[in-house]
Amino acid sequence: MTTRTIDSSAGRDTRGVSRRDFLVRTGSGLVLGFVLQNVSRVDLAEAGVPPPPAATGATVNSWLEIGADNSVTLTIGSSEMGQGSFSGLAQILSEDLMVDYARIRAVQGGPTLASPAPVGSAINTVGSSVIRRNFWRMRDAGAAAREMLVQAAMNRIGDQDRARYSVRDGVITHAPTGRSLTYGEVAADAAALPPPASAPLVPDDEFAVIGRSVPRLDIPAKVDGSAKYGIDIRLPNMVYAVIRHAPSVGGTLARTPSRPSGTIAVVPTQVVAGTERGGEAVGNVNAVAVVGTNTWDTWQAAKRLKVSWRLPANASALNSDRFLADGLALSSGGTPFVPGGANPPGTVYTVEGEAGSTTAAIDGSPSIVESVYSLPYVAHACMEVLNCTVDYVAGVRCDVYAPTQSATSALGLVVSLTGLSPDQVTVHTTYLGGGLGRKAETDFVSQAVQVGMAVGRPVKLMWPREEDFTHDQYRPMAVIRARAGLAQDGNVTGFSYRNVSPSILGQRGRVLGALGDSQGIEGATHLPYAFGTRAIEYVAHPSPVPVGFWRSVGASLNTFGVESMIDELAEAASQDPYLFRRGLLTDPRWMQVLDAVADRSGWLSPPRAGRARGIAIGTAFGSIVAQVVEASNLTTTSVRINKVWIAIDCYLAVNPDSIEAQLVGGMVHGLNATLYGRQTFVNGAAQVKNFNSSRMIRLNEMPDVDVTILPNPSVADRTAAIGGAGELGVPTFAPALAAACYKLGGRRIRTLPLFPAARMGGL
Amino acid sequence: MTFNVNGKNYTVSVSNPDMPLLWVLRDLIGLTGTKYGCGIEVCGACTVLIDGQREHSCVFDASSAVGKKIVTIEGLGAGGLHPAQQAWVDEQVPQCGYCQPGMLMTVAGAINDGHRGKEIASECKNLCVCGTYPRIKKALSNL
Repeated sequence: MTTRTIDSSAGRDTRGVSRRDFLVRTGSGLVLGFVLQNVSRVDLAEAGVPPPPAATGATVNSWLEIGADNSVTLTIGSSEMGQGSFSGLAQILSEDLMVDYARIRAVQGGPTLASPAPVGSAINTVGSSVIRRNFWRMRDAGAAAREMLVQAAMNRIGDQDRARYSVRDGVITHAPTGRSLTYGEVAADAAALPPPASAPLVPDDEFAVIGRSVPRLDIPAKVDGSAKYGIDIRLPNMVYAVIRHAPSVGGTLARTPSRPSGTIAVVPTQVVAGTERGGEAVGNVNAVAVVGTNTWDTWQAAKRLKVSWRLPANASALNSDRFLADGLALSSGGTPFVPGGANPPGTVYTVEGEAGSTTAAIDGSPSIVESVYSLPYVAHACMEVLNCTVDYVAGVRCDVYAPTQSATSALGLVVSLTGLSPDQVTVHTTYLGGGLGRKAETDFVSQAVQVGMAVGRPVKLMWPREEDFTHDQYRPMAVIRARAGLAQDGNVTGFSYRNVSPSILGQRGRVLGALGDSQGIEGATHLPYAFGTRAIEYVAHPSPVPVGFWRSVGASLNTFGVESMIDELAEAASQDPYLFRRGLLTDPRWMQVLDAVADRSGWLSPPRAGRARGIAIGTAFGSIVAQVVEASNLTTTSVRINKVWIAIDCYLAVNPDSIEAQLVGGMVHGLNATLYGRQTFVNGAAQVKNFNSSRMIRLNEMPDVDVTILPNPSVADRTAAIGGAGELGVPTFAPALAAACYKLGGRRIRTLPLFPAARMGGL
Repeated sequence: MTFNVNGKNYTVSVSNPDMPLLWVLRDLIGLTGTKYGCGIEVCGACTVLIDGQREHSCVFDASSAVGKKIVTIEGLGAGGLHPAQQAWVDEQVPQCGYCQPGMLMTVAGAINDGHRGKEIASECKNLCVCGTYPRIKKALSNL
């Protein structure tokens, strides 16, 4: 087994099981509460994730319940948006709890203070983090519960020699007497016991479930129509609200329109603290919600409503052409960061290395390559549009039903908007019809609460597709300038890289430090390439268009910039791009992943006539991924993608089938963005309004995909960093396809998307 | 207006005869398995069967559906799973799952028309943002 590098910044929980990790509730069965680790994307990228707090009534966010009827229920405080972690957590738990995974009923929790369950706050489901950050926690929970149940059985049977007991699918057997007790029979007794100080885990070589492709628990409900998404919530006496925003970024309501006949209300909604982004400032009344008795009539009334909007003074400057020009200017200009200074947009942050020596090394090289890449704003376009249902009773309670990735943020927002105490507020997390990072935001929750408070009865707020596209918090646009020198032998003497893109963190009120925006530059730092010197810089672009976290975030920008540049350098060095990377790579894990994808794709044998291949590698969320894309039939309006090979090292694969699904899905997400994805602005108004002008591939265009998951190591080491999978298919697709297209067409693709004018016809 | 959905009659008050069937099903009748995706007949999430034929309920006038047999995802597998639903489970197709009711109704309609496997794969144009397409292809190859 190759040596694996350890991610020292990951802040893993190395304490092992401890009594403070669990909270026990008594009742008719055993309830064991614990804390799934809450993460923020910033912690993931920068500070490291702190260990979860001790399990208390205020912190517990997930719990296991063993019923007297032998039922096993796992209430999960993370969100399920298609990534499969809902099932993955149950799968991990089942191993050490020693019950059949298929018997576990998994239900969605949320930040609720309702009794009798343990209570607390749900975690933010971001950063491909649920499985990798909670693997040991789930194992410890399963083992602790198992040992409590066994102890209860030992007390019942009157033999305290643990070695004489075995457990099989929730049945405890005492070997000398052959007597058996089920978990259900001893659950109430177990609840009276303290959690054990230590509980042994199932050894790797005895795994029955971990590492196996078991079926997902949410799939039956997703094929029979019974799965409930946020948009499916129906409450007694509920009314329907449809949102309509100002047409321009920063636009505000000039005067409140009168209520059209047939509707119940017109409610202006404002941007509240915590949801402000770029030009959408706190206090801006940037939308109206029309309220009626059903979605369709209300939507039509919202469309017909004559609304007078006040456009921001700079609206005429909010154009995509201007954004690109600003980005190009800043890709070589800008002023350096000054500690403690104002550091306005346009400031250059040196994230890694040093510009002066790097420029000198490049300038002195026999061969110099310089390229500028640009990427557009891209909408999330989740299949399920943004929506939220609110049931507010003034001074008494507020129930919120939302397809949210951030129930905890939603809870805090609702408390602050309503003035209710946290124990009067319940956020019910539903299934998400896609999240992609967009549903980590709470603007739509805020609007629904404002409307709910105004109308005084349950209300479901929905964003029509056109609002969803035009008022997104987009993947940031970026202009990337890369410049590198090559020595005679093909070594890279210096690598200078600058990403100019609007700051996701800056738009969230964060004052950028010397290292700029970690979200914008991730994917370009700590590259294990043997560059002689390097200078990695980030510049905050001044555009006020709202930006946010879009599946794989900065890696989706920077992997395109970095790997496209590597491809250009390989060409300048007259080397094969796979072998060129092999010569440059310094990390054995990267090398192994690169070799795996090259082997699977037969990289060193030529493709069929008329086809070409491109290759790329990158990292995100603790995993390493490489892709090879084979393409043909490139024209000015289309390309055929024949096959894609993906290899991943995520350290540990809990459910290989689920990881395969995520990699393929991520790749398709990257593919849609690479070929077609863009949002453009004219006078502050977003131009792409629906799927017809934001093409995506359909079934008949789907290439074959071959996924290789590198073998699991021994997982006995608690300090080894487990990598993510949910976002990992995205970043490497664009540079690999661009490289293939270059071989097909002879023209470097440095601007995405490839086909901005493509449209999608009806069915 | 009275609608026959999944073999059952529902009489609801429809304010506007142009209201698309999608919203009658979801808001007035309360069958929320049929999904809104685009409202312009591009994504197919709203697909239902009307007299056995695939229709996009987001643009299908409610009044035109009166007197016809409407089948939604909730009624697709009468007393069990439709073969397409079973194939979807077998191949572990759904991720977020939001497009899958429309996808399954499209496939079921194609099967009603006598189409099979690869033929369905070439005509099923519903959008899946999660990218479950390879598993859909695999599931279809068993139908």
